Amino acid sequence: MRRDRVLITALALRRSKPEQSEFVSIPNPAILALDHVSRRLAGREVVHDLNLNVSRGEVLGLLGVNGAGKTTTLRMIAGVLAPSTGAVRLDGANLYEQPERARRCIGYLPETPPLHQELSTEEFLAFCARLHGVARKAVVAAVARTLERCELGEVRRRPIAALSKGFRQRVGLAQAIVHEPELIVLDEPASGLDPVQAMKLRELVRGFGQDHAVILSTHVLPDVSACCDRVAILHRGELRYSGPATPNVANTLRVGVARTTGANDWESLPMVASAEAIDGIHWRVHLRPGVSIEAFAVAVVERGLGLLELRLDTAPLESTFLAIATADAPAQAA
Amino acid sequence: MSATALIARHEWRRLAVQPFAWLLAAVVIALMAWQYLLALQGYLDLAPKLGGLKDAPGVTDLVAIPLLRSFGNLLVLLVPLITMRTLAGERGAQTLPLLLASGVGNLRIVLGKYFGALGFVLVLITCVALMPLALAFGTTLDLGKITAALFGLALFAAALTAIGIVASAWAAQPALAAAIALTITLLLAVVDAGARLQGIANSGINYLALPTHLEPFFRGLVASVDIVYFVLIAAVTLALAARRLDTLRSRSD
Repeated sequence: MRRDRVLITALALRRSKPEQSEFVSIPNPAILALDHVSRRLAGREVVHDLNLNVSRGEVLGLLGVNGAGKTTTLRMIAGVLAPSTGAVRLDGANLYEQPERARRCIGYLPETPPLHQELSTEEFLAFCARLHGVARKAVVAAVARTLERCELGEVRRRPIAALSKGFRQRVGLAQAIVHEPELIVLDEPASGLDPVQAMKLRELVRGFGQDHAVILSTHVLPDVSACCDRVAILHRGELRYSGPATPNVANTLRVGVARTTGANDWESLPMVASAEAIDGIHWRVHLRPGVSIEAFAVAVVERGLGLLELRLDTAPLESTFLAIATADAPAQAA
Repeated sequence: MSATALIARHEWRRLAVQPFAWLLAAVVIALMAWQYLLALQGYLDLAPKLGGLKDAPGVTDLVAIPLLRSFGNLLVLLVPLITMRTLAGERGAQTLPLLLASGVGNLRIVLGKYFGALGFVLVLITCVALMPLALAFGTTLDLGKITAALFGLALFAAALTAIGIVASAWAAQPALAAAIALTITLLLAVVDAGARLQGIANSGINYLALPTHLEPFFRGLVASVDIVYFVLIAAVTLALAARRLDTLRSRSD
């Protein structure tokens, strides 16, 4: 029997955290709750009747095309912008009635990091810590801890203007966490970074998610898969989808084969429920419940299809996102 | 430390690390020192002739007060350059969300920026004041008159700084902010020019003009109406700046 080279990538299975499927099943109490929030800007309703919860220890990915209302939503969560109607509640209290609480409990990184470039990293972070209510005596320790966490020690005394884009982005992140907020709000944190920097940033965000609530706005789907526990997709200011960032993909495979096949060839295999072509050589194959991937791989090899690639398919999120982005009808929540 | 004091101190620190502020201070002090030396030389030349006159003006009237009056005129140009970046610069660099998301109220942000900029202006006033005050080592000065003039200058600077802050809150670019502040200040300086040309010096329009309220301080007169005028200008413009910040929170940019 000819042995094909088999590549199995099971990134999604390496996720250590349990999936959180819906708001009702969130294990921790929600630290942030958006309660029927709407916001009008320049006569247009940019965000409409938005309900959203985030819990401690959870990373929520906020997805949407440009103009979907992500940044406006984040600005309302960060306390920069007041909602036209509805309420943003932090631990049950209305954010706009307790701005001092927001000062201590929220860390916000806008799309463009707000950096005072003429100052050194250390000096800037000390100011941010004091601005967010860290006691004078605790500032030095808070800054040192943040510099270490964001791996900024080597540039602590360098003016921010002299730093590379990646370092500046990290300083932006550092200013958002220096006061140990309960909620961290990040707007496109990996924007403009090279792949290595983006990967490091994702690791940082993942780390923040261990003990903070994190909201991450992006339109980079791999960022969501890598960092987030849950995803909310906004479209035209409305919440169109909310569910796990990595939906149950254990039964959906992306298969590359050398020989041209049709859907019938796949469906003739007893363990396959359905199959759809992605391109000339790649197929998305849905296995029947309870079928092992190994058994499927053996069957493909025995059928002599010329197996080139076999991996778990994370495309359901992509499909959902694209379906929502290209259609106006609300998608069914997973 | 309150958020206002923190922002003010931070504003100071930011000014201190920028060459622009140092350059501005150096140019101003050099210019005033040159004027001071010219005035002093003029006084020394004139002094022998003044000896015989009854109630002849002294060094305070001929050196100190003209220097401070001249510095007052310079402040009209100088203050907009100092205040132009306070809020417009933050908007340009997209750093305003740092303050807006900090939970610090609009008025406290505006006051922080205001006191930061005003502190720098007051230091410049102090530097210039030290020049005529140094004459106290060699002659007798009318310290009451000089104190009144300095107090008036400080109030004048407080009003101009507030105008600069509101202009910086309204404009998206620092240069535009400076131009707006300069325009407002000049308008307030010449608002009664027409009335004065017709010999009217005591009408309502005269009371709107900045020189009407600054000049008495240079004559050694400290009147509550003049103090209230400058305080009112500062209070109203700072309130407008805070209101503008509130509007900026609602903007999508």
